[in-house]
Amino acid sequence: MANRVKTRETKTGEIIAFSETAVRQNLINIEYVKTSLSSLAGCTAGILGLTGLSGFIFYIAALIIFFGLLIVKTGNTWNKYFISRKSLVTNGFLGGLSTYTLFWTFAYGTMHVY
Amino acid sequence: MGVYKIVLTLGLISLLHSGYSAAQYRTFLRISEQEFESLPLDISIQAIVSFAVVVYSILSIKSDWKLIHATEIGKSSWDTFANIQSFYSFNHRGKALFNPDYTQPNLPNMDLLN
Repeated sequence: MANRVKTRETKTGEIIAFSETAVRQNLINIEYVKTSLSSLAGCTAGILGLTGLSGFIFYIAALIIFFGLLIVKTGNTWNKYFISRKSLVTNGFLGGLSTYTLFWTFAYGTMHVY
Repeated sequence: MGVYKIVLTLGLISLLHSGYSAAQYRTFLRISEQEFESLPLDISIQAIVSFAVVVYSILSIKSDWKLIHATEIGKSSWDTFANIQSFYSFNHRGKALFNPDYTQPNLPNMDLLN
């Protein structure tokens, strides 16, 4: 795999070079964490017995918790690892939502219905 | 990283335990013929806290992030860049030259081809 370099111009007109391999590796890591996040959030929502709109609000709350933990983890140095911090939370919102709903209904069914 | 794997396991067990408690609470309600309003506070807190612990430990296990700035890459050595997997070659004469136990494989019998 070639270590290609991607450049981007900032608002001040300065050109910054990024390593594409490193960027992609970080995004794959975050994707892994987000998939497990949505499945576990679904399990928690099912345990709590949320129904209807409150369950979807819990999904957004879980994303905010994830964002908070990410800030705790990286601190001031986040821009050494990610180009944009906002896109870490907003990327793959609907895909995560379907995983979340699957686990939510499963956990709710096992804990509360039966 | 090893500590976080233990924390992850403990968090998952705690989440399962809170699910079991929720199921038992629902059974208790059904037997005593009461209506379900919401879970007891201790079960909800246990579920949410163990969820946060599990997500944090997954984030910590997967936190081998790479530095994305090309200027940071400039500090790494030449050997890192010269290591190109596409040019790896395993089937070369070094196998015969440097291995004292090397035995020549049987050549295919060319007479059979005629």
